[in-house]
Amino acid sequence: MTLKRMRFLKELFAFMGLGGRLRLEWISSAEAQKFVKVVSEFTEEIRALGPNPVGRYTCESGKKIGRRAACPTAPDPVLADTAPGPHTVPRAAAEGR
Amino acid sequence: MHEKVLNLLETGKVDIFLGYKMMAGHPLPHAFGRHNPVEVQEMILGPARYPLEKLAVEILAARPDLKIGILARDCNRRALNVLTVHQQVAPGQVQVLEVSCCPSPLQRHADCSSLEAKEFGAGKKEIGIDNNLTPDRLEAMEPTERFSRWMYEFQKCLKCYGCRDICPVCFCRECSLEHEDLIGTGDLPPEVPIFHLVRAVHMAGRCIDCGLCEDACPVDIPLRLLYRKVNELVADLFDYKTGLSLEQPPFSLLFDKTAQPAAAPHGA
Repeated sequence: MTLKRMRFLKELFAFMGLGGRLRLEWISSAEAQKFVKVVSEFTEEIRALGPNPVGRYTCESGKKIGRRAACPTAPDPVLADTAPGPHTVPRAAAEGR
Repeated sequence: MHEKVLNLLETGKVDIFLGYKMMAGHPLPHAFGRHNPVEVQEMILGPARYPLEKLAVEILAARPDLKIGILARDCNRRALNVLTVHQQVAPGQVQVLEVSCCPSPLQRHADCSSLEAKEFGAGKKEIGIDNNLTPDRLEAMEPTERFSRWMYEFQKCLKCYGCRDICPVCFCRECSLEHEDLIGTGDLPPEVPIFHLVRAVHMAGRCIDCGLCEDACPVDIPLRLLYRKVNELVADLFDYKTGLSLEQPPFSLLFDKTAQPAAAPHGA
């Protein structure tokens, strides 16, 4: 069921144009090496895809918004070289000011 | 048609009959009762579509003793099937009187508002998604292009909840789209594409492709196309044919075994 559900989500994301950003693996607590391998592999895969395009629709306040005109697009490089995700960094930057 | 309705009412097969009547120049849903048989003559057929089965279920929630008849096209029947397998209405509690909805050589005009494809402007075709596209044609585009086209469409959303309110199979008492912690009310514009994807996922195994959401949408977001894809996936991955029969358990994406009461009327 989980497999099917993941395929459902993967294909729905692909239909939206966000394919390749979801992966399912079973890794036991005894399989540290597999964990490392999967995470490194997937990190590379995602890096190759570039920043999540949904990030372009994110405001500095960290709140996702609908209209680009209402909120100038966050510069992509900022989102690209910060690991934790589009939410955290712009918000931290805003607080720092 | 009028005689059939009168007959249903007079023989007591139904207590009220939901059909359409011209009111203030608009064809609107109307409940015809046996106390006023003359009024039945005012019932009209035409392309107007409303989720009559949803209205019937809402009436039955308040008055479970009633028997209701509805004017039903194919989409109404499918919706009624979904509502029945989800136990929103008991089988047989809502009687249907079928009306034609699909064109055929024998039948020149068809009574459905969604048969004539809407024409869209050049701008929408250029950067958005033409609502008349099929999932295949959309999938032939590059993913990045597809994404920006979808985002263009979703960004137009006014969060009017019209798609949910008109939807014949949206019967949940609590809606995720109004949940403070999930989407939140009041914020405009809605969080995209989450708002639309949440609804899309909730349409899995429910959407019967009636297209009322798209008819209702004031900004022409191609919702039917999105939900059509969702239910193609449901059919392919889970082998579940939404709304086509009463002999199937309700579909749920979240649970292995769908929530069924102990004495399920239909074999799971």
